Amino acid sequence: MPGLTRTIDLDGCIERLYRRELLAESVVEAVCAKAKELLINESNVIHIKAPVSVVGDIHGQFFDLIELFRVGGFPPQTNYLFLGDYVDRGYFSIETISLLTCLKLRYPNRVYLVRGNHESRGISQNYGFYSECKAKYGNSNVWNYFTDMFDYLTLSVVIDDRIFCIHGGLSPNVHSIDQIKVVDRFKEIPHEGPMADLVWSDPDPDKEDFGISTRGAGYTFGAEIVKKFLHVNGMVHILRAHQLCDQGFQVLFDDRLSTVWSAPNYCYRCGNMASVLEVSDSGERTFNVFDAAPENEEYREQQALQHNTMTEYFL
Amino acid sequence: MAATQGSLGQTQLSLYTPILTTPSISQAGWSIHTAKRAILKSDEIDQITERIKIPLPEMIFGNNHVIIRHDASGWEIGFNALDALDRVAKHGNPDGGLVKVSYSEAWLRDKATSEDGVHEVVKPFDWTYTTDYRGTSRPMTTSFEKTEDKIPLHKLRRPDPILFFEDIVLFEDELGDNGISMLSVKIRVMQDRLLLLCRFFLRVDDVVFRIRDCRIFVEFGEDEVLREYVVKQDSYENVKRKISLRTRDLGLFLRDPNWVAEQLPVIETVTEKAKVPMQAMT
Repeated sequence: MPGLTRTIDLDGCIERLYRRELLAESVVEAVCAKAKELLINESNVIHIKAPVSVVGDIHGQFFDLIELFRVGGFPPQTNYLFLGDYVDRGYFSIETISLLTCLKLRYPNRVYLVRGNHESRGISQNYGFYSECKAKYGNSNVWNYFTDMFDYLTLSVVIDDRIFCIHGGLSPNVHSIDQIKVVDRFKEIPHEGPMADLVWSDPDPDKEDFGISTRGAGYTFGAEIVKKFLHVNGMVHILRAHQLCDQGFQVLFDDRLSTVWSAPNYCYRCGNMASVLEVSDSGERTFNVFDAAPENEEYREQQALQHNTMTEYFL
Repeated sequence: MAATQGSLGQTQLSLYTPILTTPSISQAGWSIHTAKRAILKSDEIDQITERIKIPLPEMIFGNNHVIIRHDASGWEIGFNALDALDRVAKHGNPDGGLVKVSYSEAWLRDKATSEDGVHEVVKPFDWTYTTDYRGTSRPMTTSFEKTEDKIPLHKLRRPDPILFFEDIVLFEDELGDNGISMLSVKIRVMQDRLLLLCRFFLRVDDVVFRIRDCRIFVEFGEDEVLREYVVKQDSYENVKRKISLRTRDLGLFLRDPNWVAEQLPVIETVTEKAKVPMQAMT
């Protein structure tokens, strides 16, 4: 296919995407193909060095991603580790994941993308990304290209051998990070097993051990589990995303685990703050807190006027 | 004193103390107070969790409210998240009654073979946050009586100018990406009447849909308030079957409470009426 072999003008793509312009379908196809070639060589556990800024859920809130870059520095001046959940819920999933994928291709050793539970066919079909692709491209090809690429995203990153980073949390089937390295990750996220737990599980500050979620599937993990995991693996901290925090971050278990959340005013109505976590050369962790970008409000007012949704004759 | 009104004859004390400011609109002797604020902060969440005793929804707008107040008497009915959540089933058994996610059985079966040694289910409660909340009225002696009267839809279908409209979310939870649970309030005030709809919308993917609609209707100049409570429910499969085969974008429909509400069969309807005192209550 001609689209796959041609070289991609990455700088041109990035420039367009910063202006919130969509890439042509054939370009997205080529970008995703290239990304797969790059990501297939990444381990399930990538070791990187600080300084690096760690980003939590973005969920298609494109204006806020740009705001985050304004606050934390644009790549490649700042190194970034993104902890997943790039798509769904917000208005600009395509623009967001297109930009992040192009940045990964352009600066492969300065930008890292971890897989979140929304980087899956099952979830992104139901929670907005699929609908957005249909609406903006008129078909679901772009959704297919991206969701195929999602199967190649890594599951975890270790910063300076000290900080373990995943999207969700720990698994009762993973005691040492060597057990993550042998997982076959190149597939849709399953409902069960270590891969599912790493992208789905949540800490429970009131518990010591693992528990089964009251929903009937999935785990929560407590203080003792975190302590043991860090001890076994010779690390000091666990860094994850996956849960909304009204102040943009939350630190639990005597500073052994942090949640970083990077979607301010989540779903355009929560009024919460967001943060990006800066890990310095010396391993110091600083949450840089930021608020929603002003462009959101302008965009929404425009949309409300266009679609006449200021009032509704509901019954 | 204020009371939440659930099943007939049952009242319980309100957990919510509204801070009333200037009304959003005053029309024909009635005032509408609305508050649309940010989600609760973590210390507020801790305090309220202690009182309600279940983990709160991920997005909890505990300072939001809509209150309809009769100026002359001070009689009011309002809607807030805390009183709604206080009516969620706080205990339960995962093997009897409580909803489980679609893949729970398979998950538990696979888990059994992995011998991870984890058996304890965290705090069983109705994690779908299904509530039969019908508002918080003051004073708590207000009695709503069953009536054969109906909300006059023909009057509400007229395109009378809307003087005030608001749409406020009280809580929302993504159920760990297994669906959506949401309680929201819409209100519209016209010159001669008002309509409020407090809707609980639940979708558990591949399992169930639920709607609980509570409507408040006031015809200005009449000394009564109509309250209609409608329970609707159907299986996920049945609702999905109603989407045209031509569309592949099921999500668009399944995320739309208005569309879903049209598809679900009515399980129960209760219409009640309350007399509004003509003058200040002592």
